[in-house]
Amino acid sequence: MSDIIGVAIDSVLITLVLSLAASGLAVVFGLIGVINMGHGAMLTLGAYLTWATTTAGLPFILAVPLAAFGVAIVGLLLEHVLIRHFYSKPFETLLLTWGFFMVSTEVIKIVFGTDFRAVSNPLPGTIEIGALQIPAYRAVVAVLSLLILLTIGFIYKKTTFGLRIRALVQNQEVASLLGQDASMLYKQVFVAGAFLSGLAGALISPMLSIDPYIGNVYLVRSFFVVTLGGLGLLVEGTIIGSFVIGGSETIFALATSQVFAQTIVFVLAVVLLRFFPRGLLAGRD
Amino acid sequence: MNQLLSVEKLTKRFEGLVANEDVNFSVAEGEIRSVIGPNGAGKTTFISMISGHLRPTEGRIFFRGTDITALKVQQRARLGIIRKFQTPSVFLGLTARENIELAVIAAGTPRGQRQTRLDEVLDLVRMTAFADREASVLSHGQRQWLEIGLLLGAKAQLLLLDEPTAGMTAEETHATGTLIRDLTQRLRLSAIIIEHDINFIRDLQAPITVLHLGKVFCEGSFEEVSSNAHVRNIYLGNE
Amino acid sequence: MIEPRVPVSAHSHRTRFGGEAKVAIAVFACLALFPLFVSGYIVYILPQYMIFGVLAMSLALLWGVTGILSFGQAGFFAIGGYAIGLMTNGSLPFGGLFLGLIAAVLLGYLVAALIGYFLFSAGVRDAYFVLVTLALSIVVEQLSVSQSQLTGGWNGMFIMRPTIDLGFTRIELFADIPVYYVVLAAVALIYAGLYAFTRSRFGKVLTGIRENEMRLVSLGVPAALHKTAAFALSGAVAALAGALYGLHSGFVSPSIGGVLFSTEVVVWVAIAGRSSLIGALLGGIIVSSLSNYLSAITPTYWQLALGLVFILTIAFFRGGVAGTLERFVANRRSAQP
Repeated sequence: MSDIIGVAIDSVLITLVLSLAASGLAVVFGLIGVINMGHGAMLTLGAYLTWATTTAGLPFILAVPLAAFGVAIVGLLLEHVLIRHFYSKPFETLLLTWGFFMVSTEVIKIVFGTDFRAVSNPLPGTIEIGALQIPAYRAVVAVLSLLILLTIGFIYKKTTFGLRIRALVQNQEVASLLGQDASMLYKQVFVAGAFLSGLAGALISPMLSIDPYIGNVYLVRSFFVVTLGGLGLLVEGTIIGSFVIGGSETIFALATSQVFAQTIVFVLAVVLLRFFPRGLLAGRD
Repeated sequence: MNQLLSVEKLTKRFEGLVANEDVNFSVAEGEIRSVIGPNGAGKTTFISMISGHLRPTEGRIFFRGTDITALKVQQRARLGIIRKFQTPSVFLGLTARENIELAVIAAGTPRGQRQTRLDEVLDLVRMTAFADREASVLSHGQRQWLEIGLLLGAKAQLLLLDEPTAGMTAEETHATGTLIRDLTQRLRLSAIIIEHDINFIRDLQAPITVLHLGKVFCEGSFEEVSSNAHVRNIYLGNE
Repeated sequence: MIEPRVPVSAHSHRTRFGGEAKVAIAVFACLALFPLFVSGYIVYILPQYMIFGVLAMSLALLWGVTGILSFGQAGFFAIGGYAIGLMTNGSLPFGGLFLGLIAAVLLGYLVAALIGYFLFSAGVRDAYFVLVTLALSIVVEQLSVSQSQLTGGWNGMFIMRPTIDLGFTRIELFADIPVYYVVLAAVALIYAGLYAFTRSRFGKVLTGIRENEMRLVSLGVPAALHKTAAFALSGAVAALAGALYGLHSGFVSPSIGGVLFSTEVVVWVAIAGRSSLIGALLGGIIVSSLSNYLSAITPTYWQLALGLVFILTIAFFRGGVAGTLERFVANRRSAQP
């Protein structure tokens, strides 16, 4: 019995952490259609900035927002120099953001070195529920993920800024007719996505050993999360997608090895996408 | 004249919005039919249901007596029902000749006859002189003609022409009317033409169907339709 | 009769197949003469880069001709490498060199055909297709790690250099020179086959899909089947390249199937020029040999430079080196009376 509860809790934690990791992509890909292949690199950068600032003596709680802002600034530069000229060409943005990944990865190696780095766990204890022990930091990050997603949802659905973005997503022409500065909105959304990716990288950093490619683990998964959840469904879509891609892996891993479970999940995702091309929540075409 | 295509009670609803309702319509072999109506009358929806780009909510479509309502775009094209899009849709990166060649290939023309057929079509749409120009450097009007050439190359029996003179000068519009009449007579093709340009419609001298709010409002010759006070009210009066 | 108007400036710039036959003959002639003037390591390693060139061509066929981008070519490459390994190392009850090559090609073809048909028949968006090919690389890499009883896991798999038995004579593929010429002949044959393919009826239809898929479907062409066939052919060529790689290097490991290697192929082809087969072949040879050489000296700065060149190519020179050269030649020609 406690095994089942353990698996359930584990898959909830994994689902929520993955939704956090995917949230930046959900914004950038889901709202303005940029197939951001640099998403993983942004997570990596967030983790390294956290490592650098905490190593320099800054408390973790300050390092996290600082890292997120750092990545947001990098995102702003990327958008301003390259991406904004190619919004109408999705394949070009895909390739350009891959180029960003290549450059950013090498810059990280030059600046931070190639050795494994570790951010010390700010909450090393465990929470005990009956016989179950849950790492305290993972639990806190899971709760934070939920709060962050709900905040994104609130901004998107309830604020005027969100309204303007929804108008833009619905119909770009009408939005410009209404006097919306579309290019400014695109920029804001892209930078917000970069901020979220940096934030996710920062919060995840104490759970992993950091190397220049850690973000890649999340790149393809995040794409599956966002496409399975459905573009533009920032909260519910991201959580459902994360469960299918992350949470279910824990369940499959019971019957087979961890690596093989990942393979099963990817094949499952491809098959689901074939039948629900607009996402699981949108229903069949 | 033999019926080529007929539609019965064709209806299309988009989430509550009625785009076409109970449209009955037919076109005979070798016949041209014009479809007019104000913006939003459901003209493009109508032609899209015939070409297969949209599924009707209700109603049936027959081609040479066979029910084709369930066929896909590509299957209808193989039967000879081929559409020209409102904005000319050609293969921009290829030359006019290569454009037509693809259409000739699409029709399944045997290798030995491809070249002859290709030259023939280029000549029919008067593109021989520009055959080796890339479509991207052709004028808007030339692209419209090239696209008609694609339809011919793919062995269209029924040309579905969605605003074939959009963006053309008055001279080009006139020439296009002559071309279409010439083609349908010489090759015994049928055509359904959606147009806004009332002079073009008059010159075509083809039976006219007026669509209004998704329904057939009236049918008749140009004189009959243009003298109809209601039509003037909903459509001609606005021009 | 009044014809539609002709714009004044009607000269076209085009990047496309054709007209590259002469360049190809020159390239293969140079490669054939190469071992007469140099010897040593470079004669050993150049065939490997030619094989990477074949992998690059498998992508150009898909991306340049048909307009479908794949981030999964390395997946097929690894499938081919492991297939030839399993068929020649005696771990299966049947096998042999020729059977192994056939198995590699067939496996690449079938896996691609299956994925292609599954996705294209449903009309999935291009972005999803890219995503699935990316996932394919990951799955192949994971499988080659996890199925270690067959593949050797992280330790990789050793493959014996073969002896080609032609009935009347046997070619022992141990010395560098015979290996060089056998690989060169294979690469030239593959190139010639693909070149003929791009100029066939089928190749033309694929070009039409790249230019305007909707129009082609509306003319009655089953585009989904054609895309499936293009992907299958591309998968088969990539798997063949993988098999040749396995035979040449004598070793395959999970990393040849991974995402990073897959995307490296995209970078070679983008820089060299996606719309030219010979460009892709040369791109594969030159960029991969530069990578190997410069990575030994300054890995980080080389990767950084490659990334910057890649970005500049995508942003400013869409046709890559081949496309830019072709345009330059076309301009020179039109400037001369």
